[in-house]
Amino acid sequence: MIEVSHVTKDFVMPKKYPGLRGAIKGLFSNEKTVKRAVDDISFQIGQGEIVGYIGSNGAGKSTTIKIMTGILSPSDGTCFVAGIDPNRRRKENAQNIGVVFGQRTQLWWDLPLSESFTILKEIYNVSDQAYREQMEFLNQVLELSAFFDKPVRTLSLGQRMRADLGAALLHNPKVLYLDEPTIGLDLVVKDNIRRAIREINEKYKTTVVLTTHDIGDIEELCSRIIIIDEGKKIYDGSLEALKDTYGTKRTLSLEVKQIQKASGFSPAEILGVREEECITELDFENSLLKITFDGHKLQAPQILSTVMNEIEITDIQLKETELAEIVKEIYRHGTEGE
Amino acid sequence: MKRRIKAYLPFTINELKRQMAYKGAFYLFILVKMFGAFINYYLWMAIYGSTNQNTLGGLTQGEMVIYIFMAYLTGTIVTVSVSNWVSEDVVQGTVAMNLIKPIDYRMSLISRASGDMIYQFLVPSVFIWIGLEIYRAAVPGLPPFSAEKVLFYLVSTVLSFLIYVLFDFCFGMIAFFTTYIFGLMMVKQALIAFLTGQLIPISFFPEAVQRVFDFLPFSSMVYTPVMIYLGKYTGNKLFFMLLRQAAWVVLLYLFGSLIWRKVTKRLVILGG
Ligand SMILES: Nc1ncnc2c1ncn2[C@@H]1O[C@H](COP(=O)(O)OP(=O)(O)O)[C@@H](O)[C@H]1O
Ligand SMILES: [Mg+2]
Repeated sequence: MIEVSHVTKDFVMPKKYPGLRGAIKGLFSNEKTVKRAVDDISFQIGQGEIVGYIGSNGAGKSTTIKIMTGILSPSDGTCFVAGIDPNRRRKENAQNIGVVFGQRTQLWWDLPLSESFTILKEIYNVSDQAYREQMEFLNQVLELSAFFDKPVRTLSLGQRMRADLGAALLHNPKVLYLDEPTIGLDLVVKDNIRRAIREINEKYKTTVVLTTHDIGDIEELCSRIIIIDEGKKIYDGSLEALKDTYGTKRTLSLEVKQIQKASGFSPAEILGVREEECITELDFENSLLKITFDGHKLQAPQILSTVMNEIEITDIQLKETELAEIVKEIYRHGTEGE
Repeated sequence: MKRRIKAYLPFTINELKRQMAYKGAFYLFILVKMFGAFINYYLWMAIYGSTNQNTLGGLTQGEMVIYIFMAYLTGTIVTVSVSNWVSEDVVQGTVAMNLIKPIDYRMSLISRASGDMIYQFLVPSVFIWIGLEIYRAAVPGLPPFSAEKVLFYLVSTVLSFLIYVLFDFCFGMIAFFTTYIFGLMMVKQALIAFLTGQLIPISFFPEAVQRVFDFLPFSSMVYTPVMIYLGKYTGNKLFFMLLRQAAWVVLLYLFGSLIWRKVTKRLVILGG
């Protein structure tokens, strides 16, 4: 459905110098700075996939989305969406896609929401029959009817975001791009939006590309994620595989009766592994013994029995590494490595 | 083609609705502008009063009265500031929101401007026009009402509207490079009032200057339809004038397409 190959985007800006003298100098100089926002990125996305496109701020997510919508032309490489080059045949491509930019709205600010939908119906040439059916469906998943007659500018952020998602879906697009669709929303609305995305995807096999900083969005929606950093792709694969490769650290939290007894206790030594593969921390205040270990090397029961031989335990908790931490870890590798 | 027009119609209707919603501000605006027309009127009456010639710049005093108000009226109908909207869209970053839709940006602006034009025509202009027709009937020496002239005037005004809007679209493209074009807009407004003949009929300029104006689109924006209304152009000359307007429409359309292609190629829309 989406084929991006070796796409690069450079932003060329006139060079700026500090201060007033700098401003004058800037007027007469021809020097340019080039910012490479997207750097040789390739991926393919099939129909019906929900792909999480993640990366830190300024990584180049929005720029990639804009290239795929046809708003920006790539400096190099090619991009095809449903067989169409989005920049060359922008209007044709626009008929196939729906877009939500979380920080912007595509609705008519001064008009009642209902009018925005009527306008979009004409713009996308949606038949009366299709319009009725789609509206019924959108109403059911996004609950738009409560504020359907209110001017857009009076809507709350959550209502506006639901309305914007509805507007992007009115013409039943093949591909849906969502650029930070849950930013600033409370949990209830987030949940509503996620459910809507899932239902649309199930019902119409809509391809979804989603950028977000909310790990919850990813965990609930995406089967596949692509991570970019400083314009380069650094990971592309399933969520499970990612967790498998990077998320092998587990933490065992043990509440013990007498924490003093635990000082000097080293399960790493007893089990015969290196120190960094089984790190022990003591929390005297809460009488907690925290053991962080590599899931590939050690098993939790192994450690548990080692501890219980020496110390009396009152409570146990086992934690997997959070996805957020994994992602953070990958960013660190991405920027250090190469 | 039918489908395309249907896609743009909502822009026209919306603008009409929006204008109606802001009536209050609009009437104040008319009042201010009318004030300007009246100052112009008294100025010219004083000039005609202080000379013993019957015609100045080819216009009798009666014709001048009609010229002043007709030029004012045509100016308000025709000069819909599309570049304002472009610059708003650039500043607020809503250009991107237009580009994700299967529509032509310029066509959507022209459709929106049409709504504005229709409104300005319906609300103040028709009444001023009726007033002028009464004046025409009451003052001796003026040519009588002619349905044919009115028809040609309307055709010419629609062409003027297209010329202005297409020109202003090109002007608005500057916004993509400098973001804030308000200063330039003021300059443009002053120049337009002068070059289109809204302030002084073009026939008052020296011959050489008039020749130069012939090669600019501005006189086609206001001066031409008003002169047609006054019955100054007839037969072949009328035909030529309308043809020249049509030529400007085509030329500015092509020029606009060219710039737009350039702009979208290097378009750098505000982040987000
Ligand atoms: N219009 C622009 N002009 C210049 N630089 C830009 C522009 N848009 C984005 N950039 C730069 O490109 C990089 C990527 O931006 P963006 O794609 O918006 O990142 P993200 O959406 O991942 O936060 C950033 O360093 C940003 O400063
Ligand atoms: Mg972004």
